[in-house]
This record gives sequence, structure tokens and C-alpha cells, in this order.
Amino acid sequence: MLELLGRLSSINVRKVLWTCLELGFEPSLTEWGSGSRSLQAPEFLALNPNGLVPVVKDGGFVLWESNAICRYLAHKHRRFDLLPEGPAERAIVEQWMDWQLTEINNAWRYAFMGLVRHSPKHRDASAIADSVTQWNHQMAILDRTLGRTGAFVTGEAFTLADIVVGLSTHRWYATPITRPQLTAVAAYYARLRERPAFARYSDQA
Amino acid sequence: MLKIWGRANSSNVQKALWAAEEVGVRYDRIDLGGPFGGLDKPDYVARNPNKRIPTIDDDGYILWESNAIVRYFGHKYGNDQLWPRDPKVRGLAEQWMDWQQTTLFSDFVVLIVQLLRTPPDKRDQTAIENARQKAEASWAMFDQHLKANAFAAGKAFTLGDVPLGVFAWRRYELPIQRANLPNVDAWYKRLQARPGYKKIVMTPLS
Ligand SMILES: N[C@@H](CCC(=O)N[C@@H](CS)C(=O)NCC(=O)O)C(=O)O
Ligand SMILES: N[C@@H](CCC(=O)N[C@@H](CS)C(=O)NCC(=O)O)C(=O)O
Repeated sequence: MLELLGRLSSINVRKVLWTCLELGFEPSLTEWGSGSRSLQAPEFLALNPNGLVPVVKDGGFVLWESNAICRYLAHKHRRFDLLPEGPAERAIVEQWMDWQLTEINNAWRYAFMGLVRHSPKHRDASAIADSVTQWNHQMAILDRTLGRTGAFVTGEAFTLADIVVGLSTHRWYATPITRPQLTAVAAYYARLRERPAFARYSDQA
Repeated sequence: MLKIWGRANSSNVQKALWAAEEVGVRYDRIDLGGPFGGLDKPDYVARNPNKRIPTIDDDGYILWESNAIVRYFGHKYGNDQLWPRDPKVRGLAEQWMDWQQTTLFSDFVVLIVQLLRTPPDKRDQTAIENARQKAEASWAMFDQHLKANAFAAGKAFTLGDVPLGVFAWRRYELPIQRANLPNVDAWYKRLQARPGYKKIVMTPLS
């Protein structure tokens, strides 16, 4: 059975949990990370020297980095609906996953840490405002994209890109900030809520 | 022919160019970004709403995000060695690619902007030193991995080495103090033996 190390409140851990549910199985979750066992513990660092969750253990095979894990699992289970087999179709899914990892993740961090996690290091009002501006800008890119692609990030079909972007969309709606009206994003969010895995894992923070 | 947009000195553009060299696909590079501007031009934004470089056009097929482009080249034009079909080997290659983006990159941005693009009297020495220490700690972590592995994904070079390799050149070329990391040194030497690395990455930093 797939072992997952992490905690439900982590958006990156929830990417993996949601992926597993779409693949039709439940991983065994062992609690690690803030509020639970320290990620600096030697036995954790032996698995992930980067000291972050999620980490998966598949037999003797250990992997970390949330998006790499989701792709590994879809690849292994040959779920070409979630991660297409053709290079061009697949790369578009990966492009939006990388966009989530490099752009959205960097945009929201300061505002989310300050407004939701109440981190003492993230209290500067103008830095929070900048972070919100960038976050809203990224979500507007998503809005225009959905206006073109239709139901989901890369087209009419649900893929891995919707798991990582969907969780980010949930976070955008759940954080107390001023949001512009983005009608395509709102419709997308409603569509995601119909999925049992989303209903189960979006609201754990 | 395949088109790649982006200035040649950009780390993210170099990933795409080097990967294209590795898989042997011919391309035209078009200068964009930095002093060349053009990121806000409507025809570019229509290709890449994120307004960054690189972006590619492969016979009408448009793609951006540097690591996604590297993997696309591997999948479409590469062989099983450069872009492994085995999920576990590929998973490791991707893990180290994502780690470059999520962990190593933010410190290197500081070092590159401060040391290459800021006049000496305007540099923030505390920020430089913080970024240097964090970057060196990251390389030390990769050094441990290389103790038992010749390359990111194991015994053989894969495109998983490309993102880290681009930043390795910067690690050795920037005027910063480096920790003694013999396994990273040896891996870096192995990369230097590759013609694509020499041609694309081993060029003056600016
Ligand atoms: N790039 C990594 C980032 C992982 C990450 O930042 N994880 C956070 C939780 S979302 C973490 O481990 N925080 C420390 C903790 O939980 O104690 C990934 O996508 O897996
Ligand atoms: N996550 C993107 C980031 C791309 C990026 O930040 N590119 C930089 C150059 S390295 C850029 O577009 N800078 C603006 C410019 O060159 O004017 C990727 O990996 O492709």
C-alpha cells in the first residue's frame, strides 16, 4: 500500500490525497509536520532531506515534491485521462502544474501566511497588499484561460492540472482578501465542488 | 521549424535550448525579454499569458514553463535514456526538476540580480549572504544524493539534470564563496563534457 507522510492542513499533501482518490485508492497517511512530528527528525530527513511534506513510500521507492508525486502516480497507474499519453497533450497539463508551482504558489505565500496562518514574519501590510495583487493577477490569467478552454484548465476533461489548480482556487476563495469578480473561475470552482474528492479534501485547512 | 522565444542569457531559456540540443531537434531562437522587451506585445501574450520566457512554437503547438518544455522535448524527441519511460526513474528526474523551481531558484534569483545586475554600491550584502548560505545548503543536500548517484535520476544523465545543471554553472561562475562539495564538483565535471552544455550554458553570465 502507498504510504503518505504529511498532514491534512497542507495543500501539497492534499494534492496527493486527491490524486489517490481519483485513482481509486486510499493511501495510508502518517502524520508529519507542524502540529505533529518534526520534519527535522533524522528518520524523516532520511526520506526527504528537503524537510517538507508530502513524501510517499511505494514499497522501497521514496519520492517527494508534490507535483512530481502526482505525475508519478498517474503514470504508474496508466491513467492517461489524468495525464495524457501524447507528448503535446501531456505537456500542456504539466505546463499548468508548473505554473501553479512557480507562479501561484509564490504569489499567495505572503498574504496567506499573514492573514490565515497569522505568522509573525508576515505582518507587513504593504507586502500583504502586493501579494494579494499578484495573486489576483494570476487568478485573472486562469479566468481568461478557462474562458477559452471550457470546463477545465486544459479543456473539456478533468486532469491532474485541475487538482493542483483546483486546490489553489479553493485557497483563493477561502482567504479573507478582496477578490475581483472572475466568472469563469467561479463556474470552474462550482464544477470542482461536484467531485467527491474535492468536497472531501478542499476544506481541511 | 521549432521556435524558442527568449534571450540567450536567461537561465530558464537555457534549459529549453540545452534540452533541444540534447535531443537533437533544430530550432530558431528569437530574442525576447530583458533589454529586448516584447513580453507585453499582444502576439506574445496571446502565446504566453504569463508574459515570461521561454515560450516555444513547435509547428503551431505553443508551450511555456521551462521545465514543462524540457520534458516535452524529452518525451517527443528524446530516447528512453534521456527521458526514462520507467515511472520511478522519471519520478526522480521530475522530483529534482521541481526542487530546482521550488527551492533552489528563489535564492539564485537574489544572487543573480544582486551580483550581475546591481551596481556594487547598491548591493544588499545581507540579502546576498542569506541567499548564498541557503543556496549552498541546497547544493549540500544534492551532494548527499550524488554520493550514491552519478546523476539526478540515478546512473545515467537524463533531462532531469538540465534545470540543476543550468544553475550549477551559475554557482561556479558567480563571485561567491562555495562550500567543499566533491560530489557536486564531479557531477558538474560530467556535465561539462556534454557538447550541449558547453554550447548553451557555459557562456558569460550577464
Ligand atoms: N515544493 C514542495 C513544497 C512542500 C511544502 O512546502 N510543504 C509544506 C506544507 S504545504 C511543509 O512541509 N511545511 C512544513 C511543515 O508542515 O511543518 C512540494 O510541492 O511538495
Ligand atoms: N516559471 C517560469 C519562469 C520564467 C521566468 O521567470 N523567466 C524570466 C527569465 S529567466 C523572465 O521571463 N524574465 C523577464 C525578462 O527576461 O524580461 C519558467 O520556468 O519558465
